[in-house]
Amino acid sequence: MTAARPVPVPDERSAPYWEAAAEHRLVLARCSSCGELSHPPDVVCASCHHPDPRFVFEEVSGRGAVRSWVVVRESFLPGFDVPFVLVDVAMDEDDGVRLIGRLLDGPDAPLALGERVRVAFEDLAPGVAVPAFTLEGTP
Amino acid sequence: MTGGYRNRVAIAGYAHSDIVRHADRPLGALTLETARRAVADAGLRPDQIDGFTSSTLLPAAGSHAVEDGISAVSSAWLAEHLGLNPRFASGFQGHGQLPGSVALAVNAIASGAADHVLVHRALHNPTARYHGNTMRGAAGAWQWTAPQGYFGPLAMIGLTYNEYLERFGACRESMAAVAVEARKNGARIPWSYWHGRPLAREQYLASPLLADPICRLDCDIPIDGAAAFVLTSAERARDLPNRPVYVAGYAGGSPTRLRVPLHWPLDDLYETGAETARRLWAAAGVGPADVDLPQVYDGFSPLVYLWLEVLGFCPVGEAHRFVQDGGIDSDSPSALPVLSGGGALGNGRMHGVPQMLECYLQLSGRAGARQRAGVSIGLACHASPHLGGVVVYGNEQW
Repeated sequence: MTAARPVPVPDERSAPYWEAAAEHRLVLARCSSCGELSHPPDVVCASCHHPDPRFVFEEVSGRGAVRSWVVVRESFLPGFDVPFVLVDVAMDEDDGVRLIGRLLDGPDAPLALGERVRVAFEDLAPGVAVPAFTLEGTP
Repeated sequence: MTGGYRNRVAIAGYAHSDIVRHADRPLGALTLETARRAVADAGLRPDQIDGFTSSTLLPAAGSHAVEDGISAVSSAWLAEHLGLNPRFASGFQGHGQLPGSVALAVNAIASGAADHVLVHRALHNPTARYHGNTMRGAAGAWQWTAPQGYFGPLAMIGLTYNEYLERFGACRESMAAVAVEARKNGARIPWSYWHGRPLAREQYLASPLLADPICRLDCDIPIDGAAAFVLTSAERARDLPNRPVYVAGYAGGSPTRLRVPLHWPLDDLYETGAETARRLWAAAGVGPADVDLPQVYDGFSPLVYLWLEVLGFCPVGEAHRFVQDGGIDSDSPSALPVLSGGGALGNGRMHGVPQMLECYLQLSGRAGARQRAGVSIGLACHASPHLGGVVVYGNEQW
């Protein structure tokens, strides 16, 4: 592969998320005002609309259920070998929080609605890792 | 609350350019000529146009610099290049760009802010790869998706469509009926990119998968094209040459749950789409049983299912059976003509224009050889039920 994949550019709101990801930990933002999880961490809490949500990033299990998936056969970004699978995952801590990531089990992995997955991480560069998923039964 | 504008504003004329892969002149020039023809079609002079509304979105995820007059055409650009200084010129920035632009025009006319408003849409197909993007760092909203490889509208609609297929036990082969129907009707439209080129079911089934379960023929083709409509008050429209087609009501999608970019979970479409539908029927004062010509949006074919279900033309989870059983065959007297104007799949990526134009042509009696008998109420959708918009049109006032 010649070109590199795009790397996340952390900002004031997302830096704790990416710092944890680099350590292969999944953290999510919890609003200090209403106590609800919010993803992605926006300038205003998505649940209570508090303009100063003072998000606390807390580690979550990284486990969830597949709500859908897609097999990408043509990538519009540099650095991705096709085909690959993306899964849409409802997280166990709050099924309203949905993360989308690559399924690392390959394009032929058996999938069904509700399939159990857990977070895994792809190291893109020193200090840069991106959450992905793997089937829960995968060692 | 119901629309105080109901049936007080009408379409008085239109024009449409040829739809081609790459025009032989800049998009601005194509749009200017189309706008002039629309004004003349409405029986007006350019200096009588005192309002302009439109949207400039180029719906490509690629690394394209958007230049007004070249790859997009704003209302301000068009007015300036027509040599006009209108009282009202505005752009719609939400999703459902064409229904949104119509809503801006209706509000301007009903309020007296403008008398004659030109609504236009100009779409461009860049020579560079449409969705190809060379980004190295994913900043802002993109940081949540692009580093994971989730990028561009194909994966977006692929997730939504797969959720639909899995939840309702549908198969992607049923969608052949949608693609074939759109191309059958588009083949009959002289300005369509697909004029004279209908599609066989076998061709659809052989179309390569791009983002399973989305294949190439589930997507409209990027094109260069421009269309313009002239809207005015119902009173003034009665003195103009063409039969008026009134705007009965409009509705747009409301904000949904916070999501990462381009994430359209099926439940968001259904739940927020149901609110779009409630607003529409309340504004227009009619219901789905009253609509003769429900032109649903089909820029991605699965949106046909979702609009049919959200608007109540068939039960949730049933649209795949409905289309497979001939429910949308516009040549069958017992079916619903939902793509009789060819839609996006049968015309090219005109972003809601085919739907609006089919309502206008049929309801004004100007559809020529394609004219349908006994049609009085139509609706034109654009984009998705949860983010997009929809307008009800009629050729009588109520």
